[in-house]
Amino acid sequence: MTTTIDASPAAPALGEGPRAARRSIDGPALSGGLTAILGAIGLTLGLSVIFGEPRQLRIGWLLPLVGVRLDLDPLGGVFVAATGAVAIAVGIYAVGYARREHWARFPLVTLPLFVAAMLLVPAAGSVTTFLLAWELMAATSLILVLSEHRRKEVRCAGVFYAIMTQLGFVFILIALVVLSATGGGDAFTTIAANVDNLTPGPRNAIFLLTVLGFGSKAGLLPLHAWLPKAHPEAPSPVSALMSAAMVNMGIYGIIRIDLQLLGPGPHWWGLTLMIFGAVSAVFGVLQASVSTDLKQLLAYSTTENMGLITLALGAAALLTSSGAPTVAAIALTAALLHLLSHAAFKTLGFLAAGSVLAATGLRDLDKLGGLARRMPVTTVMFGIAALGASGLPLGAGFVSEWLLLQSLIHAPHDSITLVALAMPLSVGAVALTTGLGIAAMVKAFGVGFLARPRSAAAEAAREAPKSMLAGMTLAAAACVIFAVAPALLSPALQRVLAVLPTVGGDSAGPQIDTILRLPGVAGSMSPALLAAALAIAVLLAFVLARWGGRHRPPVMVTPLWASGADSLSPRMQYTATSFAEPLQRVFDDILRPDTNVEVTHFAESQYLVERVSYRTLMVDPVEQRFYTPVVRAVTIWAQLVRRAHTGSVHLYLAYGAAGLLIVLLVAR
Amino acid sequence: MTQATFTGVLDLAAGAFLLAAVLIVWRRELRAMVRMLAWQGAALATIPLAVGIYQADAALIIVGVIVLLLRAVVLPLLLARAVGTEDHERRESTPLVNTTTSLLITAVLTVLAYAVTRPIIALDPSPATRAVPAAFAVILIAVFIMVSRRRALSQAVGFMMLDNGIAATAFLITSGVPLIVELGASLDVLFAVLVLGLLTGHMRRTFGDTDLDQLRELRD
Repeated sequence: MTTTIDASPAAPALGEGPRAARRSIDGPALSGGLTAILGAIGLTLGLSVIFGEPRQLRIGWLLPLVGVRLDLDPLGGVFVAATGAVAIAVGIYAVGYARREHWARFPLVTLPLFVAAMLLVPAAGSVTTFLLAWELMAATSLILVLSEHRRKEVRCAGVFYAIMTQLGFVFILIALVVLSATGGGDAFTTIAANVDNLTPGPRNAIFLLTVLGFGSKAGLLPLHAWLPKAHPEAPSPVSALMSAAMVNMGIYGIIRIDLQLLGPGPHWWGLTLMIFGAVSAVFGVLQASVSTDLKQLLAYSTTENMGLITLALGAAALLTSSGAPTVAAIALTAALLHLLSHAAFKTLGFLAAGSVLAATGLRDLDKLGGLARRMPVTTVMFGIAALGASGLPLGAGFVSEWLLLQSLIHAPHDSITLVALAMPLSVGAVALTTGLGIAAMVKAFGVGFLARPRSAAAEAAREAPKSMLAGMTLAAAACVIFAVAPALLSPALQRVLAVLPTVGGDSAGPQIDTILRLPGVAGSMSPALLAAALAIAVLLAFVLARWGGRHRPPVMVTPLWASGADSLSPRMQYTATSFAEPLQRVFDDILRPDTNVEVTHFAESQYLVERVSYRTLMVDPVEQRFYTPVVRAVTIWAQLVRRAHTGSVHLYLAYGAAGLLIVLLVAR
Repeated sequence: MTQATFTGVLDLAAGAFLLAAVLIVWRRELRAMVRMLAWQGAALATIPLAVGIYQADAALIIVGVIVLLLRAVVLPLLLARAVGTEDHERRESTPLVNTTTSLLITAVLTVLAYAVTRPIIALDPSPATRAVPAAFAVILIAVFIMVSRRRALSQAVGFMMLDNGIAATAFLITSGVPLIVELGASLDVLFAVLVLGLLTGHMRRTFGDTDLDQLRELRD
């Protein structure tokens, strides 16, 4: 139901007709359905382009001077298809979610628009169309982030997001304007034809600017700070769309502009991408492992995964430029596969977090717990997502991370010192990321869903409605495909690799069948056989346990040993904070938590402790170091400018008039 | 229409256009200002009509008729209705700049307009471009009105005059604005006037007055 409930008793005769009619329209069903339909269109279109001919569409009158130009090739197709698939799951989920949370009309209308804008970005065939779609995407997502604008944190996150996304846009705008000016045209095809005439100066400038701009959208350091703020505060279906589909557009930009149009570049391009990626991955996963907010944890995990993808792209670029296209093709496959699997498990993660939030009103892991009994389906769903995010076998992220590690390990070490140095370091970064990722996901799942509830709200949780479960089931099915049968995606990936010759895409990539084989490299693996082995092992253990259990003595019920205390209370359980405490201690220099321990002694004896209070505040160290000085400088400047703003409209008009006269007199 | 008649009509229209602007500066009565604005709109419409008839261009005549309807009839009527709703605000309150100084400043602005438009005339000296300074002067005078008047409705009048000036400059320089552009601009002005009317009502409800200086309170 849309919030058209008008409390004013005045004019009943006038308002009754339209209001009654409006109520009969089921807003959430319409909005969610439209979103899912748009998603289905995107998915079919994307797949048809991947396996068929590229499609083109020109609408000359829609934009002045240049018109709208849509060119969909297999590279754009894979992003359109991924966005579409995410939108289907989210759309179905949003029907139940919006009904339960009583969404207002504005976010309901904007949700399908946001999906449409995201579908347009990878389909854009010219700089102008691309920028238009990009801005549409930014504006609609901002509106959706601000859906619950009555809360102060949401408004704060919204402002942060708006500024960061526009800052990123400025970088992209400058870069693309330079690109189309030096490339002799607006269309990507024209630029691609003239790109060889580009001198290294503008070429490098465009590369750096676009990496910064697209990196801010993908949540890469140092412009990642909007992500852990905006994703938790946005409604969960929106977080899922943003985190699983929108951040991909940043990666799309890097692939399309930097690797396909401008590439192949010098060695340091690949190295830059690898450094950005590795730093983002490690930093993101560190923050995720100490975060106690369920959605913030997922958001930091997005930074981590986008970092891994960028690292893989950088490795592919570096390997191509140093003459190892076969290994580069493995890295590129890893990047694309990880992008897709991340979209699947992150959609599922945010949707499951959303049903927890809708059922309990809590995001704080320290107050959750005990959901496995109360919300069994959601728990299983989050388990699948967490398994995928931790990169363990049978998880959605496993195959791609394995491919990435293989490509890094098997890089030729003898050719160039740079490669020989960069690759082992990257292996270390990926290994650290994966390890910490497991810790973060175990914490999120174990503390959030298992054990006993830590608050009354968690105790009163109920399972989510059917449509929300249906949306999650779709995403979970995708996760299982990525985990067990990635061979199904192999034909599509081959077609996409073929359009990326500048990063080794034209050489024979890894064969993803039932058994993964890497050409020219000793390495093979079969996720399906792994799954079968595990299933057999579990079955065997179960049968053996049942068989052995017959000889055991009967079960006795006795009180639980509580270390001498009266009884065990939920407060005695492991919490997210205590779970992450060792990690926090190890990485103290990087995380710099603001911890405060107060010990109160009994008045009689200082050897007896009456109370210990432990307070810790996790602040983003990058944000604190880099952002605070900038914000302070801007504030000082704004205070100066503000002196000229007295509030008098006449004075403002007089400023305008004076400006006009000065311009007229100077320009004469 | 002969060349001489065309030049005469064009000059007369431009002159009337400028004169109306000066009269608006002079008058303080809101009703009289709106009436002057209607006359100015008619003078403005004469320009495309004259050019259209002289060049036998049907599209331009249509534009002229639309301009005549909108700027000489519809918009002044809307403004007059807004004036009619407020009894105690028939007149502009104490001006920020007194009438004599205003007229002197208007004269200076007109001279300035003639000075800065010389390069434009030098580009293509024709009867139409020679009338550009008058249109340009109206733009400057309109900005001055907006700076110096207190009432929200006089601001609306100033805004309309500004747009009249811009339209006249466009007609004179390009000798024929495409229909679609003129329609778009006219629609813009119509909306602006409607919004200004709404805002005036809001202001009156909030402050009990439409003096723009009251808006100072909105600054934190």
